[in-house]
Amino acid sequence: MPALTYDDAAHLLRRMAFGGSPDEIKALPLKSRERAVDALLNYEAIDNSALESRLQKSFNPKRFTPNDDLQLWWVIRMVLTARPFEEKMTFFWHNHFASALDKVPYPLMYLQNQTLRAAALDRFDALLLKVAQDPAMLVWLDGITNVLGNPNENFARELQELFTMGIRDVVTGDANYSERDVKEIARAFTGWKFRQKGDKKVRVNFFVEENEHDTTVKEIYGQQANFSGEDVITVICARRATARFLVKKLFEFFVYPLADSAEDRATIEKFANVYFSNNHSIKELLRAIFTSDEFFSARARFALVKSPAELIAGAIRLLAEDYNPGNIENGDYDLYNQFRRMGLDLLNPFDVSGWKLNLGWLNTATVLERYNFANALLSNRDDSKHAIGARVRSETLKAHTDASAEKTVRNFLELLGPLAVSAQTIGLLVDYLQTDDDGTPVTFAVNDDIIDKQVRGLVYLLMCLPEFQMN
Amino acid sequence: MPTNRRQFIKQSLTAVSASLVLPRIFFSTARADSSQPAGSRRVLVIIELSGGNDGLNMVVPYTDANYFKLRPTLGIKDTELKDAQGNSTIISNELGLHPAMGKLKQMYDAGKVAVVLGAGYPDPSGSHFESADIWHAGKRDDVRIDGWLGRYADQALLGRPGLTAIAVDDRLPKTLLSTKVVVPSVPNFEDYGVQTDDNYPDNRANKLNALLALHQRGFDVGSFVGNEARIGFDAINGAIQFRAALGGYSSTVTYPANNGLADGLRMLAQVITTIPDVSLLYLQMGGFDTHSDQIDSNNKLAGQQAGLLQEFSDAIDAFYRDLIEHDLADKVLMLQWSEFGRRPNENNSFGTDHGTAAPLLVIGDAVSGGLYGQQPSLAPTDLDDAENMKFAVDFRSVYATILNKWLRGDARQVLGRDFEDVGFL
Repeated sequence: MPALTYDDAAHLLRRMAFGGSPDEIKALPLKSRERAVDALLNYEAIDNSALESRLQKSFNPKRFTPNDDLQLWWVIRMVLTARPFEEKMTFFWHNHFASALDKVPYPLMYLQNQTLRAAALDRFDALLLKVAQDPAMLVWLDGITNVLGNPNENFARELQELFTMGIRDVVTGDANYSERDVKEIARAFTGWKFRQKGDKKVRVNFFVEENEHDTTVKEIYGQQANFSGEDVITVICARRATARFLVKKLFEFFVYPLADSAEDRATIEKFANVYFSNNHSIKELLRAIFTSDEFFSARARFALVKSPAELIAGAIRLLAEDYNPGNIENGDYDLYNQFRRMGLDLLNPFDVSGWKLNLGWLNTATVLERYNFANALLSNRDDSKHAIGARVRSETLKAHTDASAEKTVRNFLELLGPLAVSAQTIGLLVDYLQTDDDGTPVTFAVNDDIIDKQVRGLVYLLMCLPEFQMN
Repeated sequence: MPTNRRQFIKQSLTAVSASLVLPRIFFSTARADSSQPAGSRRVLVIIELSGGNDGLNMVVPYTDANYFKLRPTLGIKDTELKDAQGNSTIISNELGLHPAMGKLKQMYDAGKVAVVLGAGYPDPSGSHFESADIWHAGKRDDVRIDGWLGRYADQALLGRPGLTAIAVDDRLPKTLLSTKVVVPSVPNFEDYGVQTDDNYPDNRANKLNALLALHQRGFDVGSFVGNEARIGFDAINGAIQFRAALGGYSSTVTYPANNGLADGLRMLAQVITTIPDVSLLYLQMGGFDTHSDQIDSNNKLAGQQAGLLQEFSDAIDAFYRDLIEHDLADKVLMLQWSEFGRRPNENNSFGTDHGTAAPLLVIGDAVSGGLYGQQPSLAPTDLDDAENMKFAVDFRSVYATILNKWLRGDARQVLGRDFEDVGFL
């Protein structure tokens, strides 16, 4: 396997992490793809105790209230974690099994989030079963009221359409199931319940209410048996349609959007085979995807639109040293609101289909929020010791500023990507540095005032570049 | 409009050279005033009830024995079809509006509401997402790239001066998705603007100039980065003129409190009264996916759907009165839709599962009020394999009627073929 270039490593960190600083890029083992990928994928080996103890102290889930504490808690994890791929996968699964605080009480959403994080790289069957039996899903898709004699189809439908295989096979285009399968599968899940102790620090256990569970024969995908809910999950996870759907979803989230072409169908089939030859392991499937030629191809570079999480957490991790989220009483709730206004109301998606990626993140309102976030980050100069929120220190800006305006522009393009842009683009940015407020050309002369005004302005403009919105 | 557009650009952004401010949906190079001759203005407001609104309990077939057989708990009886003041909400010998919709019933009586019964489409999808996509696209084929009003905008609004379409939302509904035109999404007016460093206000013009120039470099049109540049340019450019235009609105109408749809409609009133070019507006109201607790367990006239329908009815009433106050009631047509209705037989969760056909509403002075289409039969032999109703009117014929008769468009071109005129205009 080839060694990684600096650009390869930056690309890998954009996808498996929230981007990387020059130090983080250089710290990756660049000898081979496997080593670099494993450094991020085997995150259990990374010490994350600093984050955990900090959250325990300042954002203890026991002290959450039903406002946005839980949401900010997760945003902070993304910004401060030493295991970025863990949070990315947790977000991937949250988007996949999209459940929302609008209907599900926050202690149950917290439990679901922990379930997703703990089982993120498990066998797909195991993850799916845990999610299905988790109280959040039982509430979200009405499992608890799905009973013998009067089934509720909500979960049975989304289990197939959104969680496992889609309406049609993503390779062949054939219908994967019928309306009848929806009804029959709903019967298999009748009687699923949970018991709950406590309101805030919740303990739950799953059980099947025998009187409400339908034990008669069901016909699912043409096979008749007395299927239980567990059986259905096993059957579904063994279907090729499920492997293809899951591959497509992971691949498009982490690599590039797939076209309806022979080449891309072959890509799906290749990774679907990996799913089957590795006993449905999510981790092995991901390892294959991240070490593939497709992942390192030119087609994959900057081929996705940054999600609000990637944009915000990435920018803070890169530019804002000593980020201080505050605590529950006095926390950086603005940060979570920035996620929300950019279209990512974390833990509260609009519906069970989750967020639309790429162009789904972009409309005039959310793009203005992206640019206004850049402004807020760059114009916060509160350097006091306990100041809450993200700021970019003058020293950070100074470190990348050069006597030459053009070199300064190039330094920041390197830091923020590296972003490859045209000479025309560099010219426009240099012009900004070399124009005074009444529009007349001036020479770029580095001093503290220029750094505070125009170098800050330059980084703001760079963060508003269409190229910077790409991942 | 207090000032013409060219003056306004100068006032708000003196340092941005005119050549940088290029037209898209906001601007035209040639004309600065309204493109629509006075008196002929026509605005379409779309209100999407997302999640699948239960049509059978919005327009209740109170004489149908099958309805009560299928809905022993949820079914609303004739004696219960009375609003909070005790006025009947019955609209025909067979149908009545949900008791929470008293205000809408008054508008119905005044001839302002057309109810199109049994709206749906062939081979219905039970998926929220696929079905909504079919309605948004106005297409039953499998390839659905843009929205039906997006295609209309390409046909009729491209290059027209001024702000012509807005979604009051933090997302862009696919109905308004076009391959050529950027329709702005405006969740609220206060935050819709470009903020720059407050410490250096005099440097703002340089930043805006640079931003606009950086968004106008050559990008590959179909690429993500090209789309971002297009949206970003229109966002920056549009936000500058948009905010100031809204200052001219005032109204004596009090909109209902704690009512998200009313908040949105009030924003639409601001837009319609102050921006004369605007013609397509979109609002979405969620919460209609009532698999459970559609009714309260101890009161079928209360619960989720009742609350939502009351919000809907109250909000429409306030908005309509506001339009009257501004002499615009005959210039605004409202269309309500939902991705599907709900299953005739209730489930055990005080709710209903995904259905098919449902009534939709077209509201405004321009409509000939009354009932259109046909109420689908609930007889067991008339239901489909999934125990759902069969549709009577293709929803695309509603679109076609609006496109041809209200928007002066070419429905055949937008929808790909001819559909019958439903007759409400």
